[in-house]
Amino acid sequence: MREILEQAIAKRQKALSEFDSKQLMKMAGIPVSRNYLAKSKEEAIEYAQKLGFPVVLKGCSDTLTHKTELGMVKLKLKTKKDVANAYDEIADKGIPLDGVLVQEWLDGDNREFVLGSIRDPQFGPCVMFGLGGVFTEALQDVSFRVAPITSIDAYEMMDELKTKKLLGAFRGSPAVDKEMLAGALVGLSELINTYEEIAEIDINPIIINGNKPVAVDALVILKQ
Amino acid sequence: MIESLFNPGSVAVVGASEVPLKWGTYIAGNILDGKFNGRFYPVNPNVPEVFGYKTYPSLLDIPEPVDLVFITTPSKTIMHILQDCIEKGITNIVMITSGFSETGKEGAMLENDIVALAQSRGLHIVGPNTMGIVNTHCSLYATGTITRPKPGGISIIAQSGNLGFQILEWARSQNIGISKFVGSGNEAVLKIEDYLEYYKSDSETKVILMYIEGIDDGKSFVEIAKNTSLKKPIIALKAGRTEIGSKAAASHTGALAGSYSVFKGAVQQTGIVMAESPKELLSLSAAFDSFPLPKGNRIGIVTLGGGWGVITADECVERGLLIPELPQSIIEELDKRLPPFWSRGNPVDLVGQPDFQIFKDAVELMVANDAFDVVIVLGIIGAKVFALRAAESILNLGKMEKSIYDDFMKSLRVLEKEFLDRLTELMAIYNKPIVTVSFSKSFEDETIHDCGGRFKCVIYDTPEEAVLCVAKMYNYYNYVTKRSMVYA
Repeated sequence: MREILEQAIAKRQKALSEFDSKQLMKMAGIPVSRNYLAKSKEEAIEYAQKLGFPVVLKGCSDTLTHKTELGMVKLKLKTKKDVANAYDEIADKGIPLDGVLVQEWLDGDNREFVLGSIRDPQFGPCVMFGLGGVFTEALQDVSFRVAPITSIDAYEMMDELKTKKLLGAFRGSPAVDKEMLAGALVGLSELINTYEEIAEIDINPIIINGNKPVAVDALVILKQ
Repeated sequence: MIESLFNPGSVAVVGASEVPLKWGTYIAGNILDGKFNGRFYPVNPNVPEVFGYKTYPSLLDIPEPVDLVFITTPSKTIMHILQDCIEKGITNIVMITSGFSETGKEGAMLENDIVALAQSRGLHIVGPNTMGIVNTHCSLYATGTITRPKPGGISIIAQSGNLGFQILEWARSQNIGISKFVGSGNEAVLKIEDYLEYYKSDSETKVILMYIEGIDDGKSFVEIAKNTSLKKPIIALKAGRTEIGSKAAASHTGALAGSYSVFKGAVQQTGIVMAESPKELLSLSAAFDSFPLPKGNRIGIVTLGGGWGVITADECVERGLLIPELPQSIIEELDKRLPPFWSRGNPVDLVGQPDFQIFKDAVELMVANDAFDVVIVLGIIGAKVFALRAAESILNLGKMEKSIYDDFMKSLRVLEKEFLDRLTELMAIYNKPIVTVSFSKSFEDETIHDCGGRFKCVIYDTPEEAVLCVAKMYNYYNYVTKRSMVYA
């Protein structure tokens, strides 16, 4: 972890790329979607086959924000040809990239959550859990704790959401694996508490695949 | 340790005076009139005596040791007085004086000098710009605005002088017992965490009450509050709950982290019980100080009148409490005592039977049963008003002797008192809270019924207030038990 952060700081990056961010999350014990960083079209196809179709392609760089708006996210690609076309479309934008992220496609069930970390001027490093997806900022259904937290705290954070019913069995979907979510929150709290270099972390969304929470995007912002 | 600051054997007041409208007069007058159990030394070079006590020109002229000094003279005199304290070996100081960081740059510089001196010489300073301190257990009432609640188990930290006074005054008028009070003022040296740490270890403090405006060191506050909560409940009211514009942030998380949402999270994590208003702050403190903690969330309701029972049941459910079915054994028992049309369910409606023995027995049946963790009693206390008003009409119409009316009123008061005595006994026997809501409270009725036992009865004005207190006590119980299982 230290290595990823040190390299980014040496390059004066403001943030980690999605690929690096996810690597860090995985090391901290947060379930993330499987993905590879392809440097060429051929590599992208090879990785897609390794992961199994369908896949997702995303332009990957530490300076890239608003990926979707820029047309840098290609969802649910089912064939080698789809992958090749998507790769070209992303590369043709002419935006400098580290590579193209090839990510497994996971079926979600409309339930989306958000995990995050900030440094509060009064309380220091904090973690957040909340309702994710398109309504995140409108509903502001979130719960904060000061890092580090225990697993008891993590369960209480989940219990605090007004929309906590979504974590139970809901409209044909099974109850979410809360133990995994609690583990992710504890891991996140240790990460922000240990690494001074990190300013903020955003894991949005966490989707629910079967009953398992999986992060399909992540962003680590570095201290300036 | 600041224990000696709250338990001095002798105090000096620098600037003590008899002249009205001076802080030195208020503090000295309050200490003396409040009958402090210790020695008192007024310091004032301009008059020979204050309230009959010989004055000393300076602290250094006092022939005996001094445990605690109150300073009320203007800010420009402070450094000189602190030097006297150091020379005389005094480390505990309450700085009533204002004119420091709260007034601007010059004041802030002077305050920095005080902090530097305090740190190098190990001075414990309350304030500056504080309304003072109280320790009822040694009868030390040393606040500038005067109110003297009786001794009890609640200790207070207030980051605002006038709100602190209001809390103390409310406690006094409601007969709620207080242990310690401190107005923390500018917190130049001693901070909210220091007082919390002291109250945690103080055996006379059973419940801690805080009025918070701001916290400097959130991390250390969280650490201390967490450890304190596992030992005794902390009830807090926070000013500034509305968002004061979270700074423009690069992430979603940053945008969602308003100052109050992080504070709220920190509070949940530390087990602090949050109050939403000053009134709630005291009513929660009184509840925690008076009742055994509920060991579960199953509520039995005994009521005089059906409507109130239903409203209370709704309140319970909305706050996460349960209203279990009435056990068969209780139904059978009450069938023998109540008219055949009684409800046979929880809430138990006593259908207006004017018989205190039935009231007592019904409450005992409920509290003794394993189906319930808490019993709420509605409308028995205060129901005397029905009988009294009717008697009053007859009296007014000239068909009742005044002496008969007076005796009737007295006997109803005795019945109520006996009922509350019995509830207090039942709480001690079954170790469960019995919470009463008064039908109608008059000026002379008590809020807290204390017959000297382990527990007390709190008599609430409304069912929602009673249910809120039960729900928050149950949440606190949960917080502590979950964690003590892990850390035990």
